[in-house]
Amino acid sequence: MRDDLKVGVFLCECGGNISDTIDLDRVKSELDVEFIGQFENLCSLNGRKIIRDAIFDHDLDRVVVAACSPISHEKTFQDYVKPLNPYLMDMANIREQCSWVHSDKDLATHKAISLINASVEKVKQSDAVDPIYCQTPDEVAVIGGGIAGMNAALSLAKQGTKVTLIEQSASIGGHMAKIGKVFSPVKIAEECGMCLLNPILNELVWNENITVLTNTKVIEAERRAGTYNLILEKSPRYVDTEKCISCGKCSEVCEVEVPNDWNDNLSNRKAIYRPFGQSYPEAYVIDMENCTKCSNCVKVCNMKAIRLRGKPERIPLQVGSIIVATGHKLFDMEKRPEYGYTRYDDVITQSELGRITGVNGPTKGKLLKSNGEVPKRVVMIQCVGSRDEKPDGHRYCSKICCTVALKNANIIKHKYPDTDVLICYTDVRTPGMFEKYYKHTQENEVRFLRGRPGEVVKKGDNFIVRTEDTLKGEFVEIEADMVVLSTAMEPSKGTEEIAEILNVGITEDGFIKESHPKIKPVATDVQGIFVCGTAHEPKDITDSIMQATAAASKVSEYNYGGVEIEPFIAEINTERCTVCGECIERCKYKSMSIQNDEIYIDPMSCTGCGKCLIGCKHRAITVNGNIDEKIMSTIKGVLSNKMEGQRMILVFLDNIGYTAADNIGVNRLSYPESIHIIKVISVNRVRPKHIRYALDNGADGVFIGEFPGDLMYDEVERKIQGVKNRIEELGEDPERVTFSKVYIPYFSGLARKFREFDSKIAELDSE
Amino acid sequence: MKNVPTEDILLFRSCLVSVEYPGVEASTKFVFDKLGVDYEISDKQTCCTGLGHYSDVFSQIDTTAIGARNFRIARELKRPNLVMMCATCYAINKKSVKLLNKKDDLRNHINELFINNGLEHLTYEKDDLKPTENIFHVVDILYARKDEIKNHVKYDLSGYKIATHHGCHYCKVHYEDTIGGVRDPNVMDEIIAECGCKTIGWYDHKRATCGTGFRQRYSNPNLSFTATADKMNAIDDEDVDILVHLCPNCHIQFDRYQHLIAEREGRNFRAVHLNIAQFLAIAMGGDFDKVIGVRAHTVPVDSVIKDLKEVEK
Repeated sequence: MRDDLKVGVFLCECGGNISDTIDLDRVKSELDVEFIGQFENLCSLNGRKIIRDAIFDHDLDRVVVAACSPISHEKTFQDYVKPLNPYLMDMANIREQCSWVHSDKDLATHKAISLINASVEKVKQSDAVDPIYCQTPDEVAVIGGGIAGMNAALSLAKQGTKVTLIEQSASIGGHMAKIGKVFSPVKIAEECGMCLLNPILNELVWNENITVLTNTKVIEAERRAGTYNLILEKSPRYVDTEKCISCGKCSEVCEVEVPNDWNDNLSNRKAIYRPFGQSYPEAYVIDMENCTKCSNCVKVCNMKAIRLRGKPERIPLQVGSIIVATGHKLFDMEKRPEYGYTRYDDVITQSELGRITGVNGPTKGKLLKSNGEVPKRVVMIQCVGSRDEKPDGHRYCSKICCTVALKNANIIKHKYPDTDVLICYTDVRTPGMFEKYYKHTQENEVRFLRGRPGEVVKKGDNFIVRTEDTLKGEFVEIEADMVVLSTAMEPSKGTEEIAEILNVGITEDGFIKESHPKIKPVATDVQGIFVCGTAHEPKDITDSIMQATAAASKVSEYNYGGVEIEPFIAEINTERCTVCGECIERCKYKSMSIQNDEIYIDPMSCTGCGKCLIGCKHRAITVNGNIDEKIMSTIKGVLSNKMEGQRMILVFLDNIGYTAADNIGVNRLSYPESIHIIKVISVNRVRPKHIRYALDNGADGVFIGEFPGDLMYDEVERKIQGVKNRIEELGEDPERVTFSKVYIPYFSGLARKFREFDSKIAELDSE
Repeated sequence: MKNVPTEDILLFRSCLVSVEYPGVEASTKFVFDKLGVDYEISDKQTCCTGLGHYSDVFSQIDTTAIGARNFRIARELKRPNLVMMCATCYAINKKSVKLLNKKDDLRNHINELFINNGLEHLTYEKDDLKPTENIFHVVDILYARKDEIKNHVKYDLSGYKIATHHGCHYCKVHYEDTIGGVRDPNVMDEIIAECGCKTIGWYDHKRATCGTGFRQRYSNPNLSFTATADKMNAIDDEDVDILVHLCPNCHIQFDRYQHLIAEREGRNFRAVHLNIAQFLAIAMGGDFDKVIGVRAHTVPVDSVIKDLKEVEK
């Protein structure tokens, strides 16, 4: 009998992350199980020993690990319960969904006990099953053609993987192509950035495994059976890259002049132009927004490469995994009007200074003010928009600005030793070898002042930079004739867009969130999608390349090792099956087909939603894993210690919704203690009988969340409406059941929905 | 932009306006009437405690309790939208609503005080008012009705050099609700533009405090007036004729002390000081005596604004 099974519960303190909020002694005293263990870090190897010993000593049949989210450590503990079958273990998430979202110790402890009881009841319904291994397609899409994306693509291509590199601008190269010089802290010297980038670019262009698509964006993505089906949109270039030989005659005759964005608008370019000297594809491009269609370029082009008409082209692309390398943008200086960036020409950003000092820049490398003179004193202002708690600022450090300022200060000092350079800093952050470069910069007579300037004003011909020298405790006004602002790094628009299209999680600052900030720095919340470069967080070129190659190697792991799939999917009893094909029609995931006169179910695409069960007249389909019983038992368990007057809301979420809910905890937001989340394989498996049982047995509300991209979304929505209608017929309030959209990036929205639903239920209860 | 009501308004009276520049209230009513804003004032309403609060005379509990009383008065009048003429009242009341809604202990404590003193009718229920949806400054209302302004402008003030001084307690305290920018405040510049006038826009120290700092003016006069002098010098460098205010505290600091600071700085300051409502009222033809209340001003308004030129229709 399942009720006689011996269950062991293991409580993890998580080094205080759990035990500081949840009273584990009380938890232990209120559980009724065969064995209870407790350890400070269950995921450590010592934890493995504790669990294994207890299984042997107490003859345990089932194990519950009350710790972090299964998304963090389910695999670990499935391994630790050997010799038990991995599916005889269940995790109660008392960290992300309890200790990290609640502060009231009493209520959090009570909730933890409910969650553990739910797991205990659920795991009693589990049977031993084996995981299924599957292979995904090897092809990879790398989104973003900057230094990170280029390196990731190259690393994969060299391992024999076919890669499509997707870049939305007219050339690959990214920010690194623009920055002029880079420096190496060890050599204590600045060197040409383009000269380092070019070999990588060439290697990439010549590699047969890489297809480069420029002017191209991902506009849709769908995942099916471990395969991502991407829809790309390639904007017309109006110049045939096969024919164009980059002779530049077209540009000479073009009459339109517009600011050159590649030079940070410090110079002009024509409407037909080449983004920069080494741009790839090696072809010109027409900026149709500014083109007057005078056709001068068409007339002079001997290669007949120009076509003034063109339409965006949609390209489907199928890949097994994706690397997101969509990069950053810089802080909008309109948000800091006190620094006068929009009012004065000679208040510039470090990025613009990089263009000005770059030999391929607007002044061919000469440091000149807008009046053509060399500045006498340059003041650099650090932390503009970073480490800034004022409106629209970022609390994080952008990490590279200290060393960028040092580099540019040195470049100025090398060329113009008489120009005084003063850096106003908050702290100089130059860890490791960078410290040597800082020292070198000091020796180069660059001056430093600790203080964050309040404003830059123009008095006569010069600027006055007002600041407090916080070391001396004095207010100072510094005269300068050029001011350079070290602006914060922010997620690029492309990063924002791709997070939404791929439904990957983002941090509160809008960067792509890694699935674990400490130990999984390149994986995202979504299987098969990886991140690298500044789309992930501010970092320098070297770190971007390291992360890019790490992402590439994670893709290789994935390609070689295959993907482990939970075995809770549909199975056909061939003796009963008449191959009528009804299930093939019903399956929204198209996971069923006829092969060799039998129904074949693709394990990669079956979600275990159970839709096929309903239509099978011969009851030839089963979905493994006692899912109905597990949901029912979980509900019983979670409601088993409901107190008088306690509000209980059950939330059913599938893997996507559950990840979003975890992110609420990871970002330390909160929601009411009444919220109890139950993870299900597919919300379609939550049956009307489950909802009615919950409401009849103590649940005050039921919240069902579904990602609108899920193919079953409409179906589930209809079903929930049916349940609500039925509840109303029975004289209950249908408002106690709600159906809601969930998205991984929008975790704060989910927290808000929890709060709102809780207040609504509280209102209903008080009526 | 946040949703700004133009009806069910309780125009919240300000001590400083009533005592120092009654013309600000008269002008506000004059302009509101022209713009069709539905408002009322109540003689039951009391001071927000602002000056006393920032001088440590009234604790936050007292201030919030007094706020709760005033909020009740507004609700009883079915005018839940409180509109302040003073930036101090604005920030104080917004904070009180936030505290009353968020801090259960404080709200319960204040309600207990009411009950124990036979004032049950004043108790405040959570979310009786909302900080963003019910607490406004006059500039918010003017901004919401700004398209209407040009229909009522009678006089052309575009010949004057105009600058704006945005009060800290409007811009910098509850900046999530501030209209027209926080770091580069422009709400008044945009309202003034509707009268056909272009302000000088950004000037040195535009964002800076007036220097009042409540008790600082009395306990640290040197620091206080140095801040005011910085701003006055910058305004004079730009040859400004009219400095437009939205807070009576700032208004006092500039208007009442201009001659003293001029002496201190050894320079002659010429700007006159008008509240935004007074400025609009002048443009709309308000009587200098009865509406604008110029006789309460220290720097004579007619030292700058002499002959008014009618706008060409």
